[in-house]
Amino acid sequence: MAEATITHGGSTFHDEHHAHEHHEHHGNFWTNYVFSTDHKVIAKQFMITGIIMAIIGIGMSTLFRLQLAFPDTKFAILEFFLGKWAPGGTLDPSFYLALVTMHGTFMVFFVLTAGLSGTFSNFLIPLQIGSRDMASGFMNMLSYWFFFVSSVIMVASLFISTGPASSGWTIYPPLSALPQAVSGSGLGMTMWLVSMTLFIASSLMGGINYITTVLNLRTKGMTMDRLPLTIWAFFLTAIIGVLSFPVLFAAALLLMFDRLLGTSFYLSDIFIQGEVLHYSGGSPILFQHLFWFLGHPEVYIVLLPALGISSEIISVNSRKPIFGYKAMIGSMIGIALLSFIVWAHHMFLSGMNPFLGTVFMLFTLVIAVPSAIKAFNYITTLWKGNIRFTPAMLFAIGLVSFFITGGITGIFLGNAALDIPLHDTYFVTAHFHLVMGSASAFGFFAGIYQWFPKFFGRMMSARLGYIHFWFTFISLYCVFFPMHFIGLGGVARHYYSNTGFAFMEGWTDVQIFITYAAIIGFVGQLFFLYNFFVSIFRGKVASLNPWDSNTLEWTTPLHPGHGNWVGEIPTVHRWPYDYSKPGVKEDFLPQHIPAEEVEYEEGFPRPATTPSKAPTTPLKVEDVGMEAAEGKE
Amino acid sequence: MDFQLLFSSIQVLLGLIFLMVVVNLYLVFRLKEIDPFAKWNPSLLNGGGFFAFYIIGMVAATVSTIYYYPELTLIVNPASEHGVEIDRMFNNTMIVTILVVVVTNFVLFYYSFRYRTKPGRKALYYPHNNRLEVIWTVVPAIVLTVLVFDGVGVWHDIMSDPPEDAIQIEVNGKQFSWTYRYAGADQEFGESNVTFINEGKGNELGINLDDKRGYDDLVTRELHLPVGVPVNLNIRTRDVLHSATLAHFRVKMDAVSGITTNFHFVPTITTREWRERTGDPEFNFQMSCQQICGGGHWNMGAKVVVETMEEYQDWLSSQQTFLATYQGTNPDFKPDQNMASESEEGTEKIADAGL
Ligand code: HEM
Ligand SMILES: [Cu+2]
Ligand SMILES: [Cu+2]
Repeated sequence: MAEATITHGGSTFHDEHHAHEHHEHHGNFWTNYVFSTDHKVIAKQFMITGIIMAIIGIGMSTLFRLQLAFPDTKFAILEFFLGKWAPGGTLDPSFYLALVTMHGTFMVFFVLTAGLSGTFSNFLIPLQIGSRDMASGFMNMLSYWFFFVSSVIMVASLFISTGPASSGWTIYPPLSALPQAVSGSGLGMTMWLVSMTLFIASSLMGGINYITTVLNLRTKGMTMDRLPLTIWAFFLTAIIGVLSFPVLFAAALLLMFDRLLGTSFYLSDIFIQGEVLHYSGGSPILFQHLFWFLGHPEVYIVLLPALGISSEIISVNSRKPIFGYKAMIGSMIGIALLSFIVWAHHMFLSGMNPFLGTVFMLFTLVIAVPSAIKAFNYITTLWKGNIRFTPAMLFAIGLVSFFITGGITGIFLGNAALDIPLHDTYFVTAHFHLVMGSASAFGFFAGIYQWFPKFFGRMMSARLGYIHFWFTFISLYCVFFPMHFIGLGGVARHYYSNTGFAFMEGWTDVQIFITYAAIIGFVGQLFFLYNFFVSIFRGKVASLNPWDSNTLEWTTPLHPGHGNWVGEIPTVHRWPYDYSKPGVKEDFLPQHIPAEEVEYEEGFPRPATTPSKAPTTPLKVEDVGMEAAEGKE
Repeated sequence: MDFQLLFSSIQVLLGLIFLMVVVNLYLVFRLKEIDPFAKWNPSLLNGGGFFAFYIIGMVAATVSTIYYYPELTLIVNPASEHGVEIDRMFNNTMIVTILVVVVTNFVLFYYSFRYRTKPGRKALYYPHNNRLEVIWTVVPAIVLTVLVFDGVGVWHDIMSDPPEDAIQIEVNGKQFSWTYRYAGADQEFGESNVTFINEGKGNELGINLDDKRGYDDLVTRELHLPVGVPVNLNIRTRDVLHSATLAHFRVKMDAVSGITTNFHFVPTITTREWRERTGDPEFNFQMSCQQICGGGHWNMGAKVVVETMEEYQDWLSSQQTFLATYQGTNPDFKPDQNMASESEEGTEKIADAGL
């Protein structure tokens, strides 16, 4: 079916094979696979690193879940993994905090920011806008290697004798500034800050590249209003990142000064471990403002790519245009703008002026409106569709459900008065794990299942995908939904054990349930890992356009070389969502098919071809990749 | 709550599921020819699965909500005046959001099931409908506006300046305990600062020994509050951030180094009445810390007692003043020699901390 319509794809297939072969002979192992400037290779590097970081991050959560459910039990496994931090199998309370901190850091930054954007922005932006590579392949490569070094430092900090950073992923000073307060604030925190600094550099290089590429390297006919929603999402994410990450850098730098040079940006009037420290005049609240100026946009940096991916997948697999394309773009722009003016909703009770709380409450609840629009548009896209349940589609639908169920509790938390009881309880944990953690993780999975054939030229097993999905979907709901109850029961976040307070103790039963669900969910991921790695080598060879999709990436050869297209880059003639267009023979109409070549159903009058829309954007910034691809011919 | 049986059965069930999956895998990879699942229709399985998930999920959520509701400390039985307002707003928000979650998830899963692919089905080409989109922009906007205005009002009342006659109590956080200070007979706190802290000599709050207003201050480990009158907590920390939290009273405010934050409220029920109402003679209100503060964070608590005004006064008068305790540990301390300054300088500033 695919080959029948995509004539270009079919005919170029063989040519490409030669090119590809050629390509292998060029360059060497190092330039092709390690220090590659090909966005597809870099995307895979991000993906694999992200998966490894995810395994570590989720593994840590399994360990501390054991502690939460069975505070009085000794677990040999804890001692096995943590050694002196779990003497005799009982977890050390400070190390509990270290685990939580590193879990949060790994998941938020390394998996769902770099892993997600790094993989899919890199992979899909050039392929879907019709470009040979990123604007700067070299900077793109640097971006990965900064990320790599940053990951190595962060992982290494797990093994130092004073333990890794343990003041929460938000690293509020003074706790994070004073080694006397918690041992993780010694070398562990320094490594955290160094690692994050490199991470920020990586993320900026990536972001600048994504923005430039989307603005300048679109193929002929690919106007901004013909971009797939994935690209819009990656584009806006990159803009948010470029504007907000530098502020985290500033925050980290000042914290570094306080720690190493003895300045007092964040510290004042402190007596600890029997001595008065010299700090005076600093403000811990300043740090919180700086941190959340990144921190809130960050949650959208994590979520928007996932939303973009699911828009694309839901449309393709419903065989329907995405409902309200313009509204989707509009609401993403709205979210991107508003995300910069809501940060202090994390700080209602931080001691800042309550009047600020009022202002931030207003903006915060406004941001719920574009979020609602998106949810409704997804659902309407399903309506009267012809839904194909590929694993990617399952994950995309699951994502929408998490987005709704988790996002809605934002309305409670965004209301400053309601936040008084809820702040820093498990209710918050439930909120952001559903809306950010689960939804974005599902975006990641959905993306991998959808684009695996383009990544590796082979298919993943759908059946294992189904098993993986149901395991994950059910277990995530079983893990995070009951946390609403625990939170409303008054149990605080970041507690090593609920046994310290009489009114929290009763919730241990639910903690046990959650821990079981989490372990099952963890086991469920083995299906994915198995499927992923085995399919890379042994999966069924994919067809050129396995999902009958409209976007440009499926017009490239099965194993696109550096430069993506052999010969000319296809020209774009329409938006990407012409699925099931009345009268058209197939239920999809790829972007690159010229109006004259569209096949119509018998008896359907061919519409008069309007004079083709003149390309409106500056195009054809040919880069190294292009020359390389041509040179090979 | 005894869930032993439930959990055992869940474990067995999970064991079975796991077994099933293993068998399934075996079939997938070893015995493709006799695969009994080959005829299963993934479209029906997954679409139906979504719908079944919705039904089962909703039943489970409803049952557990009904079951747990009475134990949701943070939204039932508020023990303070403003807590009633917060709980009212919580319930309103809850009604709205439950409605949204139930309906949108229903439509999501039902459509997934209803419009699953079948041979011969063709999707409807339906790219947009401006009227619909305007509706679901405007309706949430209106609902949120209502909630916001309600919220702003309540927030403003809670955060307004404390009434003049509020009882001032100082809450001091440190790793990992709470210490309280009452102003004593003169109704004024003595100046205090981290630089005056001398733990060996029993001055853990750093009360300035030159400031005689501090001599009659009462330093306590328990927080006692009289019922029915406004109290204002002046919250401080001498080391890292903490968060003074009184879950039953819907009170929470960070303790921030360098400044004093505050939270005022009116307790409405005494510990005794609460015990009678719940039939739990052991019950005590507690203050917890809800801002991550180090290894002992989970255990940083203090007993809170709400009592009648008379009981409260009795308790106050039974406490030793700071001077008495200090002289207990430092018998040679002569207050008169330390009266260098009687000026009003260094008066403890108890004001809204702003940033
Ligand atoms: C409907 C819109 C949303 C509103 C009104 C909202 C509101 C809030 C508020 C007020 C908090 C602070 C709660 C507290 O600490 O007491 C919060 C926490 C959080 N939210 Fe949201 N949220 C929304 C959507 C999202 C989305 C879409 C994401 C992620 C993609 C997200 C991720 C988070 C995270 C990570 C935290 C916790 C941060 C921490 O303290 O560690 N939220 N949300
Ligand atoms: Cu936020
Ligand atoms: Cu604390």
